[in-house]
Amino acid sequence: MSIDIAIHKTHRQFAGGAERVSVEGKTVGQCLDRLIQQYPQMKAILFDRKGRIKNTIEIYVNMESAYPDELKKPVKNGDVIHIALMLAGG
Amino acid sequence: MLTDSEKKRYGRQILMEEIREGGQEKLKSACILVAGAGGIGSTVLNCLAAAGIGRIRILDCDTVEMSNLNRQILHWQKDIGRKKADSASEKLQALNPDIDVEVMHATISRDNILDLASGVDGVVDAMDNMPARYILNEAAVKMHIPFFHGAVHGFEGRAMTVLPGKTACLRCLYRGPVEREIFPVLGTAPAMIGAIQACEVIKYLVGAGRLLTDRMLTIDGLTMTASEFKIHRNPNCEHCASPR
Ligand SMILES: [Zn+2]
Repeated sequence: MSIDIAIHKTHRQFAGGAERVSVEGKTVGQCLDRLIQQYPQMKAILFDRKGRIKNTIEIYVNMESAYPDELKKPVKNGDVIHIALMLAGG
Repeated sequence: MLTDSEKKRYGRQILMEEIREGGQEKLKSACILVAGAGGIGSTVLNCLAAAGIGRIRILDCDTVEMSNLNRQILHWQKDIGRKKADSASEKLQALNPDIDVEVMHATISRDNILDLASGVDGVVDAMDNMPARYILNEAAVKMHIPFFHGAVHGFEGRAMTVLPGKTACLRCLYRGPVEREIFPVLGTAPAMIGAIQACEVIKYLVGAGRLLTDRMLTIDGLTMTASEFKIHRNPNCEHCASPR
């Protein structure tokens, strides 16, 4: 049972430089918890003070938007979670 | 009808089976609003003017600053201090005197956007902040005008096309407000994304190909990889959900 989390390049400095981190979990939320156990700095990157996913963060599972209720979304062995960043610049 | 001079000017694209003279006439009779004449807007405007979009409306309230010149290729050193919409319009008219360029120096708000976007066949989102992008998105959805989104940061950019009432809109992914920021950016990112948006506008107008609907294309110039993320229409979207 292994799920890959693809880390956005602006966040890799908070995840030991890794492009991808393999974790275990049954939901996106569990997988992100495992990621944070391994790289505690990722907590402040992904979540606001109330524990909600930040407004600028987008979560995709197997290249498909997991919005809304991302954290409850079930995942299975071999799935890939992408953490993407909303871009605003022009 | 195309003039002889237009047939010559657009000869290379008229050769394309997706365009031909019929498609070129569609481009000539189209009116497109480009919101933002900055980094992305510069490339969008250049591509659309060169391709012969008959009427282009430029909307921008800013003036040209030195720090714009690394990426906003329609503005030159001599334009510092001028209104961006004027500077852009001058270059486009010099490039292609056959098209009409309208200039609007307005700050987008929910009060004025319906007027600013009235009568256009497409809205290009070339803004530099999320609040303005959402105002545009909402107006385009309300007015059933196709909306061409593009955004950049650093080496990276993304684009998506919205057909109101049919495909996911920008607000379908909304989680909450995002503040304005001074974003880092290299000129290649808005050039790539602006070209993609212009291509989408032209495809839409001539009815060719497969639009970037329900999918967000992201390009990372650093690894030179493109990814496509599937986006779903949100049945509770504040902008595009059908009223119950
Ligand atoms: Zn929507």
